[in-house]
Amino acid sequence: MSTTTLLLLLVLVGVLTYLYRYAMIGLFASRSLPAWLHALCRHIAPASFAALTASGLFVAGGEVVFAFDTPRPWAALAAVLVAWRTRNVLATIGAGMAALYLLKLLFPT
Amino acid sequence: MVQIPTSAGGEFLAGCRDEAPLLLGVAPFGMIYGIAALAAGVPAWVAQLASAIVFAGAAQLVIVQMLAAGAGFIPIALTSGLLNLRHVLYSASMAEYVRHLPRRWRLLLAYVLTDEAYAVAVLRYQQRHAAAADHAEHTDSGTPAADATADLRHWYFLGAGFTLWAGWQLSTAAGLLFGATIPPEWELDFAVPLTFIALLTLLLRERAGQAAALVAGLGALAFAALPYKLGLVAAIVLGLAAGAWAVRRLGPVR
Repeated sequence: MSTTTLLLLLVLVGVLTYLYRYAMIGLFASRSLPAWLHALCRHIAPASFAALTASGLFVAGGEVVFAFDTPRPWAALAAVLVAWRTRNVLATIGAGMAALYLLKLLFPT
Repeated sequence: MVQIPTSAGGEFLAGCRDEAPLLLGVAPFGMIYGIAALAAGVPAWVAQLASAIVFAGAAQLVIVQMLAAGAGFIPIALTSGLLNLRHVLYSASMAEYVRHLPRRWRLLLAYVLTDEAYAVAVLRYQQRHAAAADHAEHTDSGTPAADATADLRHWYFLGAGFTLWAGWQLSTAAGLLFGATIPPEWELDFAVPLTFIALLTLLLRERAGQAAALVAGLGALAFAALPYKLGLVAAIVLGLAAGAWAVRRLGPVR
């Protein structure tokens, strides 16, 4: 993507995000949020993060690749376990990176 | 709790002070974003500008990860456009507190209405609402509009929002400076999917959300072959449908 296209994309996302933020205190200040939109909003973050995680770990070049002979899926598994046990964001990131480095050290390619 | 300031400047500074501890949690994300943006080939000045234009951490991380994966304009716009829709919720929830303000104030406050500023500001509004309600028992000016002249809480909101904004810009800059010196073998871009794993775990409290996440995750694999990463958008939409179905099937939660 060229820098100009990227800037256009960022401005578009920025304007859209600003309109979301201004929507109920400005544009539609006299109305309340429809119930269906409220319900939809609650599921957007879990759905997005799950799709991005799955895609980031197991999709490469438009194909599904379960690369269990590389460190990343295992490091991600360690992060999932720590996330589940601690519910701490920084501990999760730290554990995942530590596991990645440890695996790279133990099994150099 | 804390003493209640009575001047605009005092409210602003109180907002800054109460937001400051949250920067400890925000700064690592700003740095991870800056490092990952460089790794994805984004020029440093564009990455910094994005923090001012978009000013939404999760969406910026998503944009960077999708750029790194070679996604096109439309899938990235749709995914981040969908992800940021949750800000409508914060907007709706702040509406009753800022509705009476002049338009220029609402235009300004909308820019700093992020997850973390919202979390701090809404507490302040609720706290003083209780105090105002006590007061209203023996005076007649109980409505928020009636005491609007003395109400300076929007300065508090602005202080909290400004602090977060400054922290986000500085941590982005730190990530960009730091990231330029780190060799790619350190694989710090891996911190982005790790961040998504951590946030996802925190969000999976109720059954409908779990259904949405499961279906979206499987969908991302099922639609992997779609061009320009459009499979991600399809997966998220399918996940939202699954969430809506689960709510109808299991009944509303909470």
